[in-house]
Amino acid sequence: MKIGIPRALVYYYYYPIWVSMFEELGAEVVISDETSKNMINEGIKLTVQEICVPIKIFNSHVLNLIEKGVDYVFIPRLVSIKKYETFCPKFLGLPDMAKNVFKDFEDRIISPKISSSTDNITNLSSYKEVMKKLNIPSGKMKSALKVASKKFEEFRNLSLKGFTISEILEGKTSGKKPFKNTAPDTVNIGLLGYVYNVYDNFISMDIISKFRSLGVNVVTFDMLSEKEIYKHMGHLNKHLFWTFSNKILGAGMYFLNEDQFDGIIHITAFGCGPDSYIGKMMELDSDKKHKPFLTIRVDEHTGESHLVTRVEAFTDMLKRKKMSQVGRVSV
Amino acid sequence: MKISFPHMSPVIVYKRLLEMFGHEVVVPPTPTQKTFDLGVKHSPEFACFPLKVILGSYIEAIEMGAQMIMTSGGHGPCRAGYYGELHSRILKNLGYDVEIVIIDAIFPKFNDFIKKARKITNGASIFKVAKVFKVVYNLSKAIDRIEKRIEKMRAYEVNEGDCDKVWDKILKKFDKVNTIAEVEAIEKEAYGMLDNVPVVKVEEDSKIRVGVIGEIYVVMESSVNMEIEKTLGKLGVETERSQYLSDWIEHNIIPKFMRDKKIDNIIDEGKEFIEIEIGGHAVENVGYIKHFKERGFDGIIHLMPFGCLPELVNQSIVPTIIEKFDLPVLTIPIDEQTGKANNQTRIEAFVDLIKGKKELRLNNGKSKIS
Repeated sequence: MKIGIPRALVYYYYYPIWVSMFEELGAEVVISDETSKNMINEGIKLTVQEICVPIKIFNSHVLNLIEKGVDYVFIPRLVSIKKYETFCPKFLGLPDMAKNVFKDFEDRIISPKISSSTDNITNLSSYKEVMKKLNIPSGKMKSALKVASKKFEEFRNLSLKGFTISEILEGKTSGKKPFKNTAPDTVNIGLLGYVYNVYDNFISMDIISKFRSLGVNVVTFDMLSEKEIYKHMGHLNKHLFWTFSNKILGAGMYFLNEDQFDGIIHITAFGCGPDSYIGKMMELDSDKKHKPFLTIRVDEHTGESHLVTRVEAFTDMLKRKKMSQVGRVSV
Repeated sequence: MKISFPHMSPVIVYKRLLEMFGHEVVVPPTPTQKTFDLGVKHSPEFACFPLKVILGSYIEAIEMGAQMIMTSGGHGPCRAGYYGELHSRILKNLGYDVEIVIIDAIFPKFNDFIKKARKITNGASIFKVAKVFKVVYNLSKAIDRIEKRIEKMRAYEVNEGDCDKVWDKILKKFDKVNTIAEVEAIEKEAYGMLDNVPVVKVEEDSKIRVGVIGEIYVVMESSVNMEIEKTLGKLGVETERSQYLSDWIEHNIIPKFMRDKKIDNIIDEGKEFIEIEIGGHAVENVGYIKHFKERGFDGIIHLMPFGCLPELVNQSIVPTIIEKFDLPVLTIPIDEQTGKANNQTRIEAFVDLIKGKKELRLNNGKSKIS
């Protein structure tokens, strides 16, 4: 039995759980290809025009899996992973949209309702639909989830050490140390963005590698602990409603308030609703803190050359600022 | 302290609510292109359209002297629940000295709720609060009943604009009400006034009915939706909306065991297409498409503000529904650049289509238009 998992949206955060869970259950797991221009073009044709780019990309991946001949596609409905918080409406309605786009495939979409109180979404109740659809006894599911839970913790620990998710996915972590430039005038950048924007190399154009090739240290939200993320969010009357958006906003507040960070970059995909709020809040606060804040908005047409220029210009600006502060060179 | 609120029809209800608690009220002007431009200028680009209009409207109210703004909160996942927080940050950054009081759900922040509720009720006793809410609730119901009748009559008025003239007069009369008895008396008078409006007699069979569904703000606030109901009325079409203030109050404020289950039932119908609540009124709107179909409506106009997250999910599902119910649906996205002329053509074409479809059905498949 082949189970397809789209390489899109929160795949980049939850693949350790889902891949190992299905493998433990004895299924063959098929991951869709990496995002490419051709794939996106196919996805756009299927999707309503105004919706955000990540959803268009998601549909391309589902299509890719169906073409690969999988028996089922796994499209979980992420409802909540924290008390009083939820997900963006597009995640909540994701299986409903997919079932309408891929009508002939409707009954082969597995869409369990994921509702958990922590990030580690391996509670049995979230996978009832998987058990029902694939006829799996709960004992077997429990032990599969136990393995999945362990894999997820390992994955998160590597992230917290400072490895990027791309490095973890490619298995480039064993026996190595995460990238860190320790020269005194090194620029440190906080990179904000959802995992499906930062780690989908088509969207982000591998921005982390570009910064590293300039000797810049980059920190993303997944490298921060829960405690660090919520450290500077106390002044908000009300948190955002969407858990991953809160993580991004919290990371942003952390980068703003901790002195070791010289600048902040926000990668956002065209049409993202929650990001429009985060962007505005960061814009207002970064002004007060006098910390450079750059928004890079990406859509399906974005070319690479303009990104390189912006990355280099931003880095140069931060370097000059830092040099004059350190007093080594006066500009 | 001068107090204001977001402009969403019927504003008279919020105005009376605050006035009866002894506040001095600044009614924000009806949104115009100037309001949109003001809001767009200071809002994030990808915020949804209502956030922008309401921001513009707040700025206009503040310039008219408002010192405090009362609005509703929410707990997501729709972005509207965070409007107040974002608005107050933006306004503060612009240098406006205004307090925004955001009324959230009673739980989990109970004390916070009480504190804010006291600001609104202005030290009134619990009996007075209950009385004021009763009057306002009855007022909203009366207004909605009269408006529902006007939405039907407009299609057949002999002199264009008669109904709206009467509607304006009725609203002015409601502007002074203090008791339920007064509300009832004015409602009765209103029906008398409407009875005197000359209308053309149209046979029941050939009446055209369109349901207007969509995001609550653009459905209820006619100044942002190109006065869709008047436009349809002029084309001889009866309308009914999916959103009315009294329904909203009934569903959101009155406890479950006491309220009319109409909206609950419609939401259950919608779950056939969207399995869980995804925020806004997405599931309810889908349920309303089915509801209107069952009541023999001829078409649906679906209003969607730019960037609305729940309605974008709906838009993905609408094609399936059109197919399943054989019911034409026209989705109109709305933003600050929504020109009336462009949409007028689309609406006229849509009305022609549903008229033709109806004729075809009445003549057993033979069209008069050859």
